[in-house]
Amino acid sequence: MFDQSLLNNSRAGLSEIEAEYIASSLLRICPTVSPGQTNSEVAKLLDGQHNLVSIAVIESNKPIGLINRNFFMEGMAKPYRHDLFDRKSCIAFMDKDPLIVEQNMGIQALSFKVLDSGRKTLNDGFIITDENGDYLGLGTGEDLVKVVSFLQAEKNRLVTESINYASIIQKSFLRSSKEDMNTVLQDYFMHWEPRDKVGGDYYFCKKFADGFFLALIDCTGHGVPGAFMTLIMAAFLGDIVLEDNRMDPAGALAIMNIKVKTALGQINDPGIGDIEFDKFAQAQKGQSDDGMDTAFCWVNTQTGMLTYAGAKTPLFYIGTISPDVHTLEPDRKGVGYIDTPMDYQWTNQQLTLTKGMCLYLTTDGIVDQIGGLKKIAFGKKRFSTLLSENYLKPMPEQESIIMQAYYGYQGKQRRRDDVSLLGFRY
Amino acid sequence: MADLYLPATTDTPEIDFKFSSNTLHIAGEAYPENGVEFFLPILRQLQSHLKSISGDPIEFHFKLTYFNSVSTKILYSMFELLNEYAKAHPNSVLLHWYHDEEDDTILGFGLDIQEDFTWIDFNAIATA
Repeated sequence: MFDQSLLNNSRAGLSEIEAEYIASSLLRICPTVSPGQTNSEVAKLLDGQHNLVSIAVIESNKPIGLINRNFFMEGMAKPYRHDLFDRKSCIAFMDKDPLIVEQNMGIQALSFKVLDSGRKTLNDGFIITDENGDYLGLGTGEDLVKVVSFLQAEKNRLVTESINYASIIQKSFLRSSKEDMNTVLQDYFMHWEPRDKVGGDYYFCKKFADGFFLALIDCTGHGVPGAFMTLIMAAFLGDIVLEDNRMDPAGALAIMNIKVKTALGQINDPGIGDIEFDKFAQAQKGQSDDGMDTAFCWVNTQTGMLTYAGAKTPLFYIGTISPDVHTLEPDRKGVGYIDTPMDYQWTNQQLTLTKGMCLYLTTDGIVDQIGGLKKIAFGKKRFSTLLSENYLKPMPEQESIIMQAYYGYQGKQRRRDDVSLLGFRY
Repeated sequence: MADLYLPATTDTPEIDFKFSSNTLHIAGEAYPENGVEFFLPILRQLQSHLKSISGDPIEFHFKLTYFNSVSTKILYSMFELLNEYAKAHPNSVLLHWYHDEEDDTILGFGLDIQEDFTWIDFNAIATA
């Protein structure tokens, strides 16, 4: 029979770094005394080695206690103590219950042990033994803190490097969209700002002979899991938005929905009773419930007609006559999630574009960000006001104004989500 | 069922479910990395409590100011449970929806809830 548990012994990457450090990494070889030795011998030993903080007391190789320099010195400094104790066994001033650890104990387990045993151990240090409980040497609180800090820094460095590189990959996936956007849009900005260097927000643009397809996407999650999702979506999008269905964003959403649900096995079986809770139980067992909120747009540049279909992502626009902000409201189902039916149909809405019209798409990162004096969400109203006050300015300038307002509003609040904002003038 | 109290953390809300008096409070923000892990035990307790009572009126005070998308989905499940209960026992669930008077985001979400869960009585409360 194959023993599955053997696989759990695998050490790789981050856990490997930690496994390299065990209690014996902190081992300091220090002089010891035996219970047969006297306090005056201990005093001599301490006098001779000023950096010696503690001395272990050993009886037939086994540690039985730890003498701390300060405690010993203070004890002996009191009147008549030399007369009383000089010739007596050194166990008089010994801590009979020091922390004793086996040399193979991991650093993390050791840190918890040291903290549990209180301030004493941080000051005095602890005794390290071999597998048989025989004395090997001492470890100090200071060395432990050094190793723990080093491990922390090293882990951070690895994680950061890994995410930095992931960010390069994610950006390279955006490159062709960026190039197409540059070709089809003249006055525009695309602000993409993941919360954690990589993220679940994504944009897509593809140029055709008679127009272009545009999408702004907010996948579930942020950080690395969010970025995983964007790569899945990007792969699907590239396949879906082709010549024959470029003009039907709602249809493209429906195909995406089927693809995501199938790929991630996110299918709700209504035949089984307690649906909601089965769903969560599945999530706990590693079943995902991920998908995306998005706006898909097809812009026919020959006719000036925009076709939009939205999954919880509205399209904002300002016409050429008044600064009023209008919206095309999205359908309220996200794409791919367990509770979105396999055959769900989104709706196409059409908008006739006129020269000079301004259009904006944003994920919920801006509108939902908490901030301000009241610590409430930024809100659609504030966002719309910003658009209406600035829509006549060149798009890149609008980007800067909106983002400055947003950063100011966020203030010292933590960033809650990834932020993406696209604006363009037709 | 024993009352359930969880203090707020940076990314999870305060949960104060007094099952003994059928008064449920939730306040703060919800954006835990793993929303299911946080909410599932709470949902399960609510679910088994609802099974143990029949028609007792429930008041739910909802005072969240932010929730991420995963939390939103789970909150929907919570309202679904309450809606089922209210369907079996009409007019038994009253949802007090607190929102800052300037917070159109939270109000908007509340209005969606009102639209989607018609058996729950909805009471929006604007706070200054």
